[in-house]
Amino acid sequence: MSQSEAKDSGARDTAMVTITINGREVEADPSKPLIAACHAEGEEVPHYCYHPGLSPVGSCRICQVGVQQGQMPPRVMAACRTPVAEGMVVDTEAPKAHDARRECLEFLLKNHPLDCPICDKAGECTLQDYSFDEGQGEGRSVEPRRKLDKRKSLGDVIVLDQERCILCSRCVRFFEEVPETPQLCIGERGSHSVVETFMNRPLTGNYQGNLADICPVGALTLKEFRFQARVWNLHKVASTCAGCSRGCAVTTEVLRKHEVKRFRPRHEPAVNGYWMCDTGRFALEAPNREHRLCGGILRGGSGQAQPVDTRTALEVARDMLIVHGEALIVASPFLTVEEGRELLALGKTLGARPVFLSPEPNDLTDDLLHTGDPCPNRRGLSELGFDALPVEEVLETLPSYESALLVGERLIDMLGAKNLATLPTALRVVLLECHYVDSPSIDVAVGIPNHVEREGTWVNVDGHAGRIAIARPTPEGVWMATRTIDTLHELLTMSAPGADAPGSATPGAIPSTPGAEATLG
Amino acid sequence: MSGFETYLLERTQAKDSHLLKVARGLGTYGALKKILDTPLTPKDVIEELKESGLRGRGGAGFPTGLKWSFMPDADKDTRKRYLALNADESEPGTCKDRVLMREDPHTVIEGCLIAAFAMRLDAVYIYVRGEYRVPYERLAVAIEEARTAGLVGPRILGSDFSCEIHMHKGAGAYICGEETGLMESLEGKRGHPRPKPPFPAGFGLWGQPTTVNNVETIYNAPFILERGAQWFRSMGTKKSPGNFLCGISGHVEKPGVYEIPLGMPARQILDEFAGGVWKKRALKAWIPGGSSTGFLKPDAIDTSMDHDSLKEAQSMFGTGAMIILDETASVVRSALTLMNFYEHESCGQCSQCREGTQWLAQIFQRIHDGQGRMEDIQLLEDLANGMAPGKTICALSDAAAIPTHSVIRNFKDELVEYVREGGHPDLRGKQPAVHQEVGV
Ligand SMILES: Cc1cc2nc3c(=O)[nH]c(=O)nc-3n(C[C@H](O)[C@H](O)[C@H](O)COP(=O)(O)O)c2cc1C
Ligand code: SF4
Ligand code: SF4
Ligand code: FES
Repeated sequence: MSQSEAKDSGARDTAMVTITINGREVEADPSKPLIAACHAEGEEVPHYCYHPGLSPVGSCRICQVGVQQGQMPPRVMAACRTPVAEGMVVDTEAPKAHDARRECLEFLLKNHPLDCPICDKAGECTLQDYSFDEGQGEGRSVEPRRKLDKRKSLGDVIVLDQERCILCSRCVRFFEEVPETPQLCIGERGSHSVVETFMNRPLTGNYQGNLADICPVGALTLKEFRFQARVWNLHKVASTCAGCSRGCAVTTEVLRKHEVKRFRPRHEPAVNGYWMCDTGRFALEAPNREHRLCGGILRGGSGQAQPVDTRTALEVARDMLIVHGEALIVASPFLTVEEGRELLALGKTLGARPVFLSPEPNDLTDDLLHTGDPCPNRRGLSELGFDALPVEEVLETLPSYESALLVGERLIDMLGAKNLATLPTALRVVLLECHYVDSPSIDVAVGIPNHVEREGTWVNVDGHAGRIAIARPTPEGVWMATRTIDTLHELLTMSAPGADAPGSATPGAIPSTPGAEATLG
Repeated sequence: MSGFETYLLERTQAKDSHLLKVARGLGTYGALKKILDTPLTPKDVIEELKESGLRGRGGAGFPTGLKWSFMPDADKDTRKRYLALNADESEPGTCKDRVLMREDPHTVIEGCLIAAFAMRLDAVYIYVRGEYRVPYERLAVAIEEARTAGLVGPRILGSDFSCEIHMHKGAGAYICGEETGLMESLEGKRGHPRPKPPFPAGFGLWGQPTTVNNVETIYNAPFILERGAQWFRSMGTKKSPGNFLCGISGHVEKPGVYEIPLGMPARQILDEFAGGVWKKRALKAWIPGGSSTGFLKPDAIDTSMDHDSLKEAQSMFGTGAMIILDETASVVRSALTLMNFYEHESCGQCSQCREGTQWLAQIFQRIHDGQGRMEDIQLLEDLANGMAPGKTICALSDAAAIPTHSVIRNFKDELVEYVREGGHPDLRGKQPAVHQEVGV
């Protein structure tokens, strides 16, 4: 959990005070600045240097609101550095406050390069937003604008455009306060101020990407995302990061229903606060990998891979699993709770042992977010009753079974294509995966969606249930994973011993999906 | 010279007045001894200060006794407590604290000790402007002399009152004279002023209760304690009692630092002390209390030099440092010089100040160079309105806005003339000046 959230939760004990915001009496937390109370009330108060996850410095001076306290006449005050006090009357729309904000914007735009047409931040830039809301239509400066470094590399992740920077110092405070590895500072003074790294050293650490989110303008951008998309063309859905068992709340952002362009952190006090790590942020390769497995593939007596539709493949799988009844079910740690539940039911029908693949922890663990455990739903699957089995153990025990049902994304990666190829030919292998590897040991393969195409629940390391959501359509011919598992289960139920009375034959079997599909069987 | 009682510069006149033995002969440390020898309590000392009506000489004119009384009760709040003595003296025109530190460091030390007694402080930090080499050395030597004599350190003069005094050298930034910028700088950080609240009395140096006072303010304390609040009130005006050190510079015959009772008309100071405008020229403009107080017209020269009168004249007493401009001077060029100063000295935290000081300087530069536009005058005014009052973390932004307003209010004709005629008279009819890019 981020430390800012730790601060948040610790402060709840303080007694609330009653203040009036824009005519409404509200309860406010005196441990937080006035701006937080206004935002909690849904009142937009412009802010640049203030960020709810960082300490307030009150330097940009945009957050001016009208405040009346006690007998004093109303004043315009910086809401991010004004403590709330009992009886305070706040008017965020006071004309004088508007004026102060308009003036502040004029100063901020004085040296701004106004290169919005080529700025990655355009569309999410609060300098644009507030200028649109309350700036003045025309710039009055005829002076030459500051000429500074427009593309200064700050390491592998971030590029700095010093001309766009409005010197809010969020980035400086981020490194000081969140990963607690101060690396940025404001160099020079006054109108010569620039953001820079100490001794021009490149930035380090696994949290650099957050700079691009917290920078209110397009001064700090991701090398990865630079000039890649206009943000208004991105379709954004709330989801959960697949990078580790922290399961940070994210938005998945997809360009033209196709490519995942960004993962960005979403505020979730119980999990990640406002942040996420770079490992998760830049885990774009897996969801975007080409050559998806669409439909099914059978490897008949000829030994040739033969494409078929999903249902045909599932029917072959059913036959195989019935004949070679002693099966091991290996789930991917990316399966959702919902998928896991269905798979478990199927396993019960089959009398198979359910395990999930549990790769070694990696060395990315830190004190902030990354757990070092690459299994996003370890807890969810464990709680359902899957045993965690390390990769070697799975490979060791597989040959002692007659058949294997491998379900979920990245199983080929985790088990290793080479290892799969060396499995005994006697073992019947049914693989539900996003990708296919041409291997003689895989008898039936069926394509499933990956984690940006599915929905469901992952339970994180602390027991928090995070939702993953569908951010783009599944590839042509690919069924939802739950439907695939469900259909296979149904096929098995119908042909299971004593299946003449469907539904009652297998205790614990969940009712299969009704409808047209069922009648086909 | 006018007959009035003086005390501020008396001790500084003696030969070797900076040495302890000379200073003692002149009565220094008498007030401290009096406090320690009598049953005077810290509260009594603060009361005496309050009664005297002494107002801070650092610029804002805040009542000193009241400021001292803001410190939390030492019995209830057991944190360490400090005085930061503001000897950063960087306001253009101001050069009075230098004289006191250089010529009479022992009374400065005595003032610090009295403040320490009154506010029950643990230590005093003296923040000296970096360029003040001799004052710094004199103060450093004086502290060592005083320490050896049992006047600084543990159990001062055998009493149970102890106080340490530390020195710190600034590095040349005007902003480190702003009280919270000073504290940041003392802590070893950049001199970035802190937003208030919290105020220094509750959260100052290293987060501990702290009072910041100007050198001249503190210098008054021993005299008030020794001679009494009523004596102090016999000088100056009702609301601004006492004498002050008037540093007068610019186009005068005898620039210097003079001791003046508050409330003396500026004209009298100019004529009787500074020998009038030099070369028998006429007065064009004057600044009453350091660069941040703005340009006044000659017709305001009869204003009394005290806080209320100057406020009425739409200016401020400030640091009491008068700057005189004769009829040949250019107010536009002087304003440009000031704006370049504020642009250079802005710490850059606040948008309005960082961008505004640069913008003002650029506009004054263009008007000066003959590239001004009529609408620039309105723009100057709007920008100054956007920068102050109270819109930024500290008052540096105000300090740039006030002179700008004053030029528009009092010398608009000159602005208009520069725009119409093509800039400063020296430049008119010549090749247009190559436009300088300010702040690139
Ligand atoms: C930009 C700026 C610079 C200042 N510089 C000085 C200075 O050099 N010396 C000083 O005594 N006060 C300076 N001040 C005023 C201090 O903030 C503070 O008010 C003063 O030291 C308080 O002392 P006093 O109450 O004894 O006057 C400055 C204020 C500002 C806004
Ligand atoms: S780079 Fe961005 S976050 Fe950093 S100070 Fe500049 S505007 Fe603020
Ligand atoms: S007003 Fe100017 S000098 Fe003062 S804190 Fe703000 S930017 Fe710095
Ligand atoms: S948001 Fe309040 S001063 Fe920057």
